[in-house]
Amino acid sequence: MGVVGPSPSGSSPPDGGWGWVVVFGAFISIGFSYAFPKALTIYFKEIQRDFGVSYSQIAWVSSIMLAVMYAGGPISSILVNRYGSRPVVITGGVMCGVAMVTASFGSSITHLYMCVGIIGGVGLSFNLQPSLTIIGKYFQVKRPIANGLAMAGSPVFLCTLAPLNQFLFDRFGWRGGFVILGAMLLNCCVAGALMRPLCDGRPTSVCQAAWSVGGAPAVPLKPLPDRVRTPEAPCGGGDKERPSGRAPLRGRSCAESLSCFLDLSLFGHRGFVIYLMGNVLMFFGFFAPMIFLAPYAKHRGVDEYSAASLLSVLAIVDMLARPGTGLLANTRLVRRRVQYLFSFAVAYNGVCHLLCPLASGYWGLVAYAVCYGVVYGMVCALLFECLMDLVGPGRFSSAVGLVTILECCPVLLGPPIAGALVDMFADYSYLFYMCGAVMLTAGLFLFTMNYWNYRQLNRAKHTQDRTSELGERTVQHGVQSGHPRADHKAAGVGDPGLGQETGTLQVKAETEDNIV
Amino acid sequence: MLRFGQVLRSYCRSLLSSAVNAMNFLLIFLYWQGVSTVANSAVTPETDYAVTYHETIVSKGHVIVQELEILKPQKIELSCIISDIPNNPTHIIGYWKKNGNEIENSKQTVYKVDKQRFIFKRIFNIQVNDLGNYSCIFSYLDKQEQVTFLLKVPVMKDKRDKPIVSYVGDSVVLDCKIKRMPNTWQWYKSNGTEKVLINATADPMNYKILLEKNVTKLTVLNLTEEDAGKYICSAVFEIKSSESHVYLKVLSLIEPLKPFIGITIEVVILVTLILLYERYGRSRNDSSVVTENGPNCEPTDKLTQDDSSGTDGRRTRQRNLVH
Repeated sequence: MGVVGPSPSGSSPPDGGWGWVVVFGAFISIGFSYAFPKALTIYFKEIQRDFGVSYSQIAWVSSIMLAVMYAGGPISSILVNRYGSRPVVITGGVMCGVAMVTASFGSSITHLYMCVGIIGGVGLSFNLQPSLTIIGKYFQVKRPIANGLAMAGSPVFLCTLAPLNQFLFDRFGWRGGFVILGAMLLNCCVAGALMRPLCDGRPTSVCQAAWSVGGAPAVPLKPLPDRVRTPEAPCGGGDKERPSGRAPLRGRSCAESLSCFLDLSLFGHRGFVIYLMGNVLMFFGFFAPMIFLAPYAKHRGVDEYSAASLLSVLAIVDMLARPGTGLLANTRLVRRRVQYLFSFAVAYNGVCHLLCPLASGYWGLVAYAVCYGVVYGMVCALLFECLMDLVGPGRFSSAVGLVTILECCPVLLGPPIAGALVDMFADYSYLFYMCGAVMLTAGLFLFTMNYWNYRQLNRAKHTQDRTSELGERTVQHGVQSGHPRADHKAAGVGDPGLGQETGTLQVKAETEDNIV
Repeated sequence: MLRFGQVLRSYCRSLLSSAVNAMNFLLIFLYWQGVSTVANSAVTPETDYAVTYHETIVSKGHVIVQELEILKPQKIELSCIISDIPNNPTHIIGYWKKNGNEIENSKQTVYKVDKQRFIFKRIFNIQVNDLGNYSCIFSYLDKQEQVTFLLKVPVMKDKRDKPIVSYVGDSVVLDCKIKRMPNTWQWYKSNGTEKVLINATADPMNYKILLEKNVTKLTVLNLTEEDAGKYICSAVFEIKSSESHVYLKVLSLIEPLKPFIGITIEVVILVTLILLYERYGRSRNDSSVVTENGPNCEPTDKLTQDDSSGTDGRRTRQRNLVH
C-alpha cells in the first residue's frame, strides 16, 4: 500500500497552528517547574545566616518543593481530567505567586517549608502535568518535536533564573527577591491562558464515557457505537449527559470515584508497567551526578569558576539536545520504535557515568560534561514522549500523575544516597559507578522488556488483523460506520495489553501514538 | 606602743610577702611564651628571657616571604640560614631592614657554623608599633639574597564587597570570623570618618552581640533607615586589634513592591489580551458551533471519524487506504 504522507487535512489533533503557541506556553510552565527549585539555592546562604540554621535544614526547602511537585501529580491529573488544562495551570500560577509572597514575610524555617515547599510545590505540579497533557492533545504527527521543544524550557530557564536570582539577591536581599519571584511566577498564568482547550468531542475522562453508556467505571475505551461525530456536532457531546451522570456518582464508593477520575486500570497495561519500573530504577541515579559535578571538579583540582562553567556547558548542550532529540524521534525510522531510542539514551547515560572517573584534568571533565549534557537532554526529551506513545493522549493525564508520584521516591532518595557514598568512601568515583550501574541496568531492562512487549503486540496485532479481514470482506461499503470497529474492539478487549493500537508497516509515514 | 609595733611588724610582713608574690609573678610572666606562630617555636636555653625564633632556609634564586601572626607583645628572634653558596666563601656580610629601611648598626659579618651553612639572626622586641616587614639581606660575591618576615596580627580574609540588604522593621545578623581566638570582640558603627562603639548592654532593644570564640554575631533589631552604613567588627588581641567591615543597606518596603506591581500588571494585561483575542477571533470565524468548552476552543479535525479516543484515527486512515 505504499507510504502516505501526513494528510493536509490533519489528523485528529491540529498538529500545528495554535499548537505551536501552546508549545510556547508549555515551555514556560515546564521551565518554571523544573528550574525553580534548583535556582532557589542562591538565596540559601543568607537565609541560613538570618535564621541560624544549618545547610541541610535549608536544603530541605528545595527537596520538599520537588517532592510535592512530583507527589501532586495525581491531584493535578484528576483536575485536568475534570476541568481541562487551562484552569489548572492558571490556578497553579496564582498559587506559586501567593506562596512566594507569603514566604517573604517568614520569620522561621518552618514557615518557609510550608509556603515555598508545600504550597509552591503544589502550584508547580499544577503547572507541570497539564502542560504535558495538552501537548499530547494538540499534536500527534509532530509530537516528539513539540515535546522536545517544550522540555527545552527547563535548561533555558535554569540558565536565566540563576543569574537573575543573583541580581535580585544583591539588589533586594532575599525577602525582596522572593516577592519579585512571586510576581514572575504569575507569568505561568499567561502560559495557561495560551492553552486553549480543544473541542474535539472526545470525552476527556473515562468517567464521561462510562456515564453516557451507564456502564461501570474503570473500563478503558468502552466503545460507543451510537455516536457518530461530525465536526459540526456540539463539542463534548458526552459531557451533556453529565448532569444525569452526576446522580449515580453519589452512590459510588470512594475507590470507584477515585478510579473514575484517575485511570487505575493503567496498572494492568503492560507497556505502562514496564515504563514505570524502568523509570523508577533510573531516577535513583539520574540527578545525583549533576548535583555532585561541581564538587567533584573542585576535588580534582579545578578552580571554582571553571567548575561552575562545567555546569553552564552542560546546560547549553542540554538546551540544544532536547529539540534535536525531538527531531530525531520524529523521523520515520525512529518514531515506530521510539522506546528503543529511550532505552538506548538511558543506557548510554550509564556508560557515560561509568567512564567519568577516567576523565583527567579540566578538558576531560569538559568532555564528560558535553556527553552528559547530550544524553541528559535525550532522556528528558523522550521521557514523556514515550509515555504518551504507550498510553495514548486520552489516558496520558492519569498516567503522568501516577508515574510522577511513584518517581517521587527515587528522585528524593537518589542524591542523599549518593552523598552518603561520597562521605563513606571519601571518593567520588563510587558515586559515578553507582549511578552508572543503576542507569545501565535500567536501560538494558527497558530495552529487553520493550523488545518483548513489541513482540507480544505484534503477535496480538496479527491475530487481530486476521479477524478484521474476515469482517471487512462482509462490510466493504461501510467505511465510515463504527460496527467493524466494535468487532475489533470486542475481540481485543480481553487482552489488557491491547489498550494500545497497532502501528503497521503499511502506513509508515503516519505517526501513531500507540505502537505494536 | 607594743600593739602598734605588732601591727607594724605584721603589716611589714604582709607587704614583703606580697612583694615576693609580685616578683614571682614577674618571673613567671617573663618565662611564659604565649605566642603561636607558623614556624617552629621553642625556648632557647642560653638566654635568660623567653623568645621565639623562626628560621628560614634559603637556596639560591628564591625570594622567600614568611608571614608570622603576632598576638601579643614579645621578643622574637628571627634567623636566616643560608646554605649552598657557590665557591664556598668563609664568611658573608649581612644586615637587617625594617619596612624597607636599613636598621642602623645591624651590619655584621657572619661566619660559617658548619661546613655548608651560615646562620644570621637577631632578636627584635616587638611592641605595637614594631609590626611590619623585617628582611635579612646578605651579600656574597656580587649577589644579594633576601628573606622577608611579615609580622602582623591575624587578618580576616573574607571578601565583604557586597552589602547586606534588609528592610525597615526587620532584623539582620552581621557576622565576623577569624582563625585565632582573640581576647574579645568589639563592634563599631562608622559615621563618616569616626567610629562609634556599639554597646549591646546599654541598648538591648536594638542590638544583640554574640561572642563565641572565633565568631561574633551582631543582631540589629528594629531596623530603620539610619541603621544603614558601614559596620566594623574588631578582634581585640593583646598587641593590636584586627578589623573587618561589612556594609548594611536598609530598604523601605516599597522598593521591591514596584517591580512586583509592574510585573503583575503586565501579566494581567497579557492574559486579558489573549482571552479577548480568542473571543474576538472565535466570534468572527465560527458561527454555528456552540461548544461545551465554551466559545473559546480550538477546532480539531475535518474528517468524520468514529472513535472514543483519538487512537483509532489510524485505523480509519488504514481503512481508507485499503479501499
